[in-house]
Amino acid sequence: MIATLDSNRRWRRIFLIVGGIVAAYALLAPLTSLDAAQSANVPLLADRLWFRIATIIAMFVVMATAWNIIGGITGYAAFGNVAFFGIGAYTTGMLVAKAKWPFLVSLPLAPLFAAAFAALVGLPLLRLRGHYFAVASLGVGVAVGELVQNIDYGGQPLFGGASGLFLPIYSIDNRGLYFFYLMVAAAAVSIAVTWWVLRSRFGYGLIAIRENEEAAAVLGVNTTAYKVAAFALSAALTGLAGGIFSQWNVFINQDNAFPIEYNVQMILMALLGGTGTVFGPATGAVLLQLLIQFLGGSLPITFDIPFVSAAARPIVAQVILGLLLVGVVIFVPRGVIDFFGGRSRLSLSYLRRSLRETSL
Amino acid sequence: MANFVQLVILGLLAGGVYVAVGVGFGLVWGVLNIVNLAHGALVIVGGYITWQLFAALHIDPFLTLPVDAVALFVLGYVVQRGVINRIIRAPLLFTFLLTFGINLVIINILLLIFGSDFRSVTPTYSGQGLEFGSVVIPYVALTSLGAALLLAAALAFVLNRTRIGLAINAIAADRDAAQLVGIDLRHAYAVTYGLGAACAGVAGGLIAMTQAITPTAGEPYTLQAFVVVILGGLGRVSATVVGGLAFGLVEAFGQSIPGSGSVFANAIAFGLMVLVLVTRPQGLMGRLR
Amino acid sequence: MSAAPSPHPPASPGTSPASGEVKGAAAAPQLELRGVTKRFGGVAAVDGVSFEVAKGEIVGIIGPNGAGKTTLLNCISGVHRLDGGDVRWQGASIAGMAPHRIAKLGIGRTFQIVRPFGSMTVRENAAIGALFGSAEGRRGVTGAFALADEVLELVGLSAKARHPVSALTIPDRKRLEVARAVATRPHLLLLDEVMAGLNNVEIDEALEMVRAVHATGVTVLLIEHVMRVIIGICRRAVVLDFGQVLAQGEPEVVLRDERVIQAYLGERYAKRLRAERGQDGTDRKS
Repeated sequence: MIATLDSNRRWRRIFLIVGGIVAAYALLAPLTSLDAAQSANVPLLADRLWFRIATIIAMFVVMATAWNIIGGITGYAAFGNVAFFGIGAYTTGMLVAKAKWPFLVSLPLAPLFAAAFAALVGLPLLRLRGHYFAVASLGVGVAVGELVQNIDYGGQPLFGGASGLFLPIYSIDNRGLYFFYLMVAAAAVSIAVTWWVLRSRFGYGLIAIRENEEAAAVLGVNTTAYKVAAFALSAALTGLAGGIFSQWNVFINQDNAFPIEYNVQMILMALLGGTGTVFGPATGAVLLQLLIQFLGGSLPITFDIPFVSAAARPIVAQVILGLLLVGVVIFVPRGVIDFFGGRSRLSLSYLRRSLRETSL
Repeated sequence: MANFVQLVILGLLAGGVYVAVGVGFGLVWGVLNIVNLAHGALVIVGGYITWQLFAALHIDPFLTLPVDAVALFVLGYVVQRGVINRIIRAPLLFTFLLTFGINLVIINILLLIFGSDFRSVTPTYSGQGLEFGSVVIPYVALTSLGAALLLAAALAFVLNRTRIGLAINAIAADRDAAQLVGIDLRHAYAVTYGLGAACAGVAGGLIAMTQAITPTAGEPYTLQAFVVVILGGLGRVSATVVGGLAFGLVEAFGQSIPGSGSVFANAIAFGLMVLVLVTRPQGLMGRLR
Repeated sequence: MSAAPSPHPPASPGTSPASGEVKGAAAAPQLELRGVTKRFGGVAAVDGVSFEVAKGEIVGIIGPNGAGKTTLLNCISGVHRLDGGDVRWQGASIAGMAPHRIAKLGIGRTFQIVRPFGSMTVRENAAIGALFGSAEGRRGVTGAFALADEVLELVGLSAKARHPVSALTIPDRKRLEVARAVATRPHLLLLDEVMAGLNNVEIDEALEMVRAVHATGVTVLLIEHVMRVIIGICRRAVVLDFGQVLAQGEPEVVLRDERVIQAYLGERYAKRLRAERGQDGTDRKS
């Protein structure tokens, strides 16, 4: 018992140290791209590709952390959060591209719109439980994307239609660096919000709903209001990421603003890292997104898959990802953090126990 | 009026495909308590088998349906026995993610084998139909409806009249009690999923005859299957048949609204589903579980 | 367990922290049921039930299985919507209110099948009740945990405050169920078979617990199968059968009522009992 405790503590410490180093590197590396650093002959640690990948990772940190509020803390398996990402993206996109608002003025409206929409659909949807809620929310994700692409107004596609929406490029020095830090700030906000939620009356109410909704209600938790609030909060953060994404990427359409696979990716990230925790989803987001980029071949460290042509490679990467998903779900249902930092140790017996608990 | 009749007929005919898509999905959901996100991918596998047999060997697509069923039964049995059975006691989210992972693997393997080109099955009679004045009934759609109803009847027969079917019913009612009376759960679960997959395969064969397919074309069918099952009510084949036909009608009339076209199919399906879930959670035909 | 600390802010200024007795039912009832009816698919599980509970009473609800006891509690606490009748709380109707609003008015309840918040510790479970619950004396997270500690002391769970609920025994889970409800600072506590399945020693402890809670000024309405409990602490019992009030009054009297015996044990047995007792069936309540 004491041995396990010690080893747990050691794992946690190792984990924290590694995480801290990675985070510090990620936060400081962009500074080397500044002119001042370059003229001082500091080696360049962050090129365009680095910025692209790091910003995407930060974006997924926001989405996974935001999903955790409704999915992990409240226990409602939302499968359509990508709708809020897309709504955020299109809110900012429309305001910047069509209404010619400045980016920073239109950005706050992205989370606002997403949250309002979530509250609106949440009122009927959150009356559903289990599978019903999961698939109904998946339906929202699909339907909103479809509506945005196809709604016409006066014969013209209202939101840019199938050809998408182009935003004017945001003119600022060190754009890559700017958007990276903006996305990191959004990630920091999401994590801080989660931290606050887990310590507040609100958060205790949400956890009570997750554990037993009827018991929570008779103890005085206004379950409907709390669920809708959690859904809206989750949507606001996701919408914020979408708003930043639209200006950063300059071009949005149904494919990049409403990708169905994001729904599953953010959940998988939260599960990998540990649902219901403050840092779990963020950790999972970094790990899984790095893996996705690695399999997709966009990381500088690359590898060859034998017998696979370059053209087939992204497809094979998807197959590997799918198999990985299956493997993680079967063998590590309690999240990687669980055996890296938490209660158990990674061992064959752990995997066997996990299997036995869930299998027929 | 003729327009109305035509819409009703088209709706019912389209409903045939939804019946086929829905029955397997409803079976797996009702018995195994799994919302099978790989259902659409299994449908498309059936579509490719039909296409392959038709394109390479020129076999009539309707004759390939039994092949679809058998092949998908085997695939489904193996997947359930080897993979899904292992997490059957885990929370809902895990079965969701697992079946999504299976979905991803199947789709991308199809992409590796067949590429992303559109494939369609066009037998010689594909453009023809019966004409009654201005009302036209396409042969393919009519036969598809017949095949789908036959499929539902066959499934109902298996569930209600065979040994394994009664075992499946017992499991749906109470898993632990079923185990106590000596039912081999692993086998029965695998058979259930296999039957669901077989239905998906037949649905895919029917779909390939009416529209071009790609490996990624299956995704909408998962959502539609869900809507169909909700619409009819979970737990009985006959309810799913009603749900499928009703869904076909709603879609036909929805698409006839001027200006909307077919692009809002998912939005209509989804809106309908939420409406039914919120107002009548047990479905049009169902009893509350 | 004696000298129980009061988990309460004074319930409402002016009222005595009733150590039990309110004189007679002449005082305005705290809770009043008027023809409460609840149907499930045409079958009336609760059918026109009317009775009153005065402030500070301990009232027992008894009746055979399926008599509608739990359904009645669900009607009071807002878990079920009424199909007819009215529930009045301190003179105002609460029929149709959401459960959380009823809890905020000061009506707490337990579930017959315990529903602990599984991922939390014992202390956190009780703190949820303290964080929410009655609108009076609401407090922040720190204050809620302090109240949770007091309540755990009251029900005798202090030693296990930091345990995960999964580590609790059945009697302790029932205690926790009560603790969580008491932490909501109720004026009225609805207890649904908190003693079922306990052995004699455990029942005595549980009786102590209910008395201690009652001593803090809480009215108690409890469902119980164990007659010893009803006779031990209730001044009044209401007998339900087939969703209707069969009899009510002092427990000893009610339990000798022939109709009650018949409802519990069947007609044949009642006849035999009547034969044995001769014609001594006179102590039936009027």
